[in-house]
Amino acid sequence: MALPLRYSVGNLAVRRTRTLLTVGVIALVVLATTLFAGLVSSLRRTTATAGSERNLIVMRKGATNDGSSALSLEAFQAIQFFEGIARDAQGEPLISPELVVQPFFYTSDGGRENVLVRGVEKVALAVHDRVEIVEGRMFERSRNEALVGRGVAGRYVGAALGEDLEFGHGTWKVVGVFEAEGTSMESEVWIDVNELARDTRRSNSYSGFRLRVAPGADMDALARRIGDDPRFALEASPEKEYYAKQAESADPFYVLVIGLALLAGVGATFGATNTLYASVQARTAEIGTLRALGFSRTSILSAFLVESLAISALGLLVGGLLAIGLAGGISSALGGIAFGAQTFSTNVVELRIGIFDLLLAAILCLMIGLAGGFFPALRAARMRPVEALRKA
Amino acid sequence: MKFLPFIWRNLLRNKLRALLTAGAIALAIALVCLLRTMPDGLNLMLEYFTSNTRISVHAEAGLVYPMPYAYLGKVRSVPGVEAASTWTWFGGVFRQEDGVSFPSFATEPETVGTVFEDWEVPKEDLEAFRRTRNGALVGEMTLEKYGWKRGDLVTLEGEVIPLALEFRIVGVIPNIPHFMLQREYIDQAFRSLDPQGLSWTGMIWARVDDAARVEPAMAEIDALFQNSEVETASETEKSYMKNFFGMLEGLVVVILVVTALVALCIVFIAANTASMSVRERFQELAILKAIGFNRRLLFGTLIAESTVLALLGGILGAALALGLTSVAREATEGLDNTLRPLASFVVTQAILVQGVFLALVVGMLSGVVPSLGATRRSVAETLREVF
Repeated sequence: MALPLRYSVGNLAVRRTRTLLTVGVIALVVLATTLFAGLVSSLRRTTATAGSERNLIVMRKGATNDGSSALSLEAFQAIQFFEGIARDAQGEPLISPELVVQPFFYTSDGGRENVLVRGVEKVALAVHDRVEIVEGRMFERSRNEALVGRGVAGRYVGAALGEDLEFGHGTWKVVGVFEAEGTSMESEVWIDVNELARDTRRSNSYSGFRLRVAPGADMDALARRIGDDPRFALEASPEKEYYAKQAESADPFYVLVIGLALLAGVGATFGATNTLYASVQARTAEIGTLRALGFSRTSILSAFLVESLAISALGLLVGGLLAIGLAGGISSALGGIAFGAQTFSTNVVELRIGIFDLLLAAILCLMIGLAGGFFPALRAARMRPVEALRKA
Repeated sequence: MKFLPFIWRNLLRNKLRALLTAGAIALAIALVCLLRTMPDGLNLMLEYFTSNTRISVHAEAGLVYPMPYAYLGKVRSVPGVEAASTWTWFGGVFRQEDGVSFPSFATEPETVGTVFEDWEVPKEDLEAFRRTRNGALVGEMTLEKYGWKRGDLVTLEGEVIPLALEFRIVGVIPNIPHFMLQREYIDQAFRSLDPQGLSWTGMIWARVDDAARVEPAMAEIDALFQNSEVETASETEKSYMKNFFGMLEGLVVVILVVTALVALCIVFIAANTASMSVRERFQELAILKAIGFNRRLLFGTLIAESTVLALLGGILGAALALGLTSVAREATEGLDNTLRPLASFVVTQAILVQGVFLALVVGMLSGVVPSLGATRRSVAETLREVF
């Protein structure tokens, strides 16, 4: 016969201080783990998920990011007529020639960061289909107007809608704010490609092209054809792959976070074990009585395991809730967390605790609960009723 | 002191509990120490590896905006400037799958030794770099990573300057990853693509002979290029690095928050144990008081007990942190260069001392509440409960 759940949970309330302290330890471990994991996965989410399924990125052969690539106007004029590139309603090819530069931007507290400015033409909005203007409008050509990403708008001096944004050698009026489903593009500024080329004195030159593959066309075949063109040393790769590669640079942090979580988890397990041992010891007579009444070893064992799991579940709940609140607080206080990226530009990340981070914490808690409860529970189950009762 | 055996015996009364508590504290202290190295690595780099008399001259608009190469000669002529050299980003890729895995710059071999005196490149290496047109001074970190040695020939493909060139490693730069090449070699090769050669540079580093002349020199340099094609901004190396890594501030805040949380965790663990062991000893303490030991003395022994335990845990944790540094370093091997300084994991003596001290304070504090409660309890009442 199993002991009722109320017995295990009720016992937690009897020794309140002890339970609270142990729950506190586990909650803190959960909090530390989820915050760190959230940081890494927030970074991953913004880069790894950027890009569109049907887009190709064209760069100079050998270039690993569009900031270090350079392509000529001739290359653009040649490949825009390639077969397999999608076209809009007017029959214009959906290929976006782009120039990428990272000028200094200043944060309100005086910090200086390299922000990615993308020179584009109107077609860019059709090619980057995940980009959506949420406030204001698209810039007009030759009027020194700029479109800024959500992450940029909140972080830099002069980057809010309607303000004058100074960078490079000029000043641009912010006429619109865009979102890109939370991806790293929201850390970019878009202006007219010709204005940017003039400002950086890089006329007739692009960093790369983004193009939409026509529905039904073979993406790989188009990429191969661009790469094999003998006139230009080009390389085309799926946009998804490009961004996934950018995200790899944060992977070592994952290893670090998991190491940290394990270390803290083992510590918390020790704490939980202590609490449960004390609990078993204090209840020697009670356990003896239960055994004498006919409860089996297994039901004693599981009752104590349930107690331990209940403690860690409470810890998970408290820690998880605190983490979600704290993450939001930190993120809004700092205007996003900035990361350097391989592209030499700043990636503004909103710190958010995701399902995955909570799952990681839940697995950790399950481990703490099971490992911390097992040995004390075993001791309780192994007690000989006669001896236990005599001690009372 | 004569109570030390008494305290020790009490501690060992429940060996398992003492062990688990010390273990938990040790793990937490190890974590605190390791986490502390992260912001420390950043500060350390800013404090010791950057100079106040070396200035960086770059375009005011940003580091990726090129300056005319002719600026170098003008900077060199500014009073107070002892030597200056340019750094032009080559973006060398050794293995395609690694991408740009170390920084590579073209520079002037004649001045690099003076401008970067603190690199402590051996004299004969500098001499060899000067003589060898395709020579390269390679940072120790990169050298070790790829198993290269002096005299090796390596081919790098430039990402920014699209050339595949062969370099001979002629010298080693201790402690850093940089791969330095002769500007002239790149310039000659680049003429095959552009008859003008490398007419630009990204940055000029200038060494000023006297700290007092740094400010005037910077002002003069920026004044030289005012209203010219590319206006410059000069700053000391320290300020340059601070700006460069300033964006990591948010990350550092999160790391510090996590560190504080783990530290708080230790308090909870220690307090829990102290409360448990005191509670079990109520009767015993009452008897001790009844036979004449005063309250203060008993309070002292209880505090000492939790302090000794925490201290042992702290020392163990500090040792553990030292042992884990190499593991942590290995785990973060492929980290992005801009995040690199956070992953130095150098556990300094100061960090170790602070870790042990933290444990000590926590041990003392965690014992206060339960010990106070226990020693304040009325003797008569406690004994009545028992008998």
